[in-house]
Amino acid sequence: MAESPARLAFAEEALTHLHTLYRGALRLTRDPDQAQDLVQEAYLRALRYQHSYQTGTNMKAWLFAIMRNLFWDRFKGTRKDDVSLDDVGDFVLFEKLRDEGARPEADVLDRIAASEVVSAVETLPPLHREVVLLVDVEGFSYKDAAQALGVPIGTVMSRLHRARQQLQKSLYDYAVESGIVRGSTNGATPQ
Amino acid sequence: MNCPDCKDKLDRFVDRELNNTEVLELQLHLEGCPDCSDHYEFQAHLKRLVKHSCDCDAAPAAFREKLRQILT
Repeated sequence: MAESPARLAFAEEALTHLHTLYRGALRLTRDPDQAQDLVQEAYLRALRYQHSYQTGTNMKAWLFAIMRNLFWDRFKGTRKDDVSLDDVGDFVLFEKLRDEGARPEADVLDRIAASEVVSAVETLPPLHREVVLLVDVEGFSYKDAAQALGVPIGTVMSRLHRARQQLQKSLYDYAVESGIVRGSTNGATPQ
Repeated sequence: MNCPDCKDKLDRFVDRELNNTEVLELQLHLEGCPDCSDHYEFQAHLKRLVKHSCDCDAAPAAFREKLRQILT
């Protein structure tokens, strides 16, 4: 498809971010085939709109923005499909574990399987999932995440805060269900 | 800095989003507060756990090659 050296160079640079886009697409769609379709479509669109990319800016954030916009447009319909998070209150896993005498608290994390963490992330509503993917998995700054998501930095911070609380609650529930921790004794959480 | 202030800034510290002054203030507090220091280590550990759990899915080599063919 491409002919000019500039276009080739652009495509090559864009492909250096493939893993980030694929991982993001996989976590958003939760389906390898749909993830590949989404990423391929995102790359084709990126090439089509190459002129709108400003050299020297964050190409990874720009590509991710294209990919997640396609996700919302084509795979999930409108943003209204996103469901809100459960209200877990001010859930701080560290404090919860400390209150229950699990010391050192970090040992609990070592006993949680990676697949359970992935499951907890994928259970988050997409608007909250994508901010965790960008900041925690891909290491984006809040500023770059805001650019990729097209929202103010404050929105990134508030979504991240709520997503992390939900994530910690999910991991805690798993830890209780699997016997890693015994659960609270006040009857609120034990299974 | 007191413990509530530290707790409030802990996530941004782990995310490397504090300015230099805030980082120094927080580091000073952590050095003198074992509880907050433990909390910091836990949050950093949790962030690493999320990253390492989710970043093991690499794009298949055949898919990369297919894209390369399409794009270049």
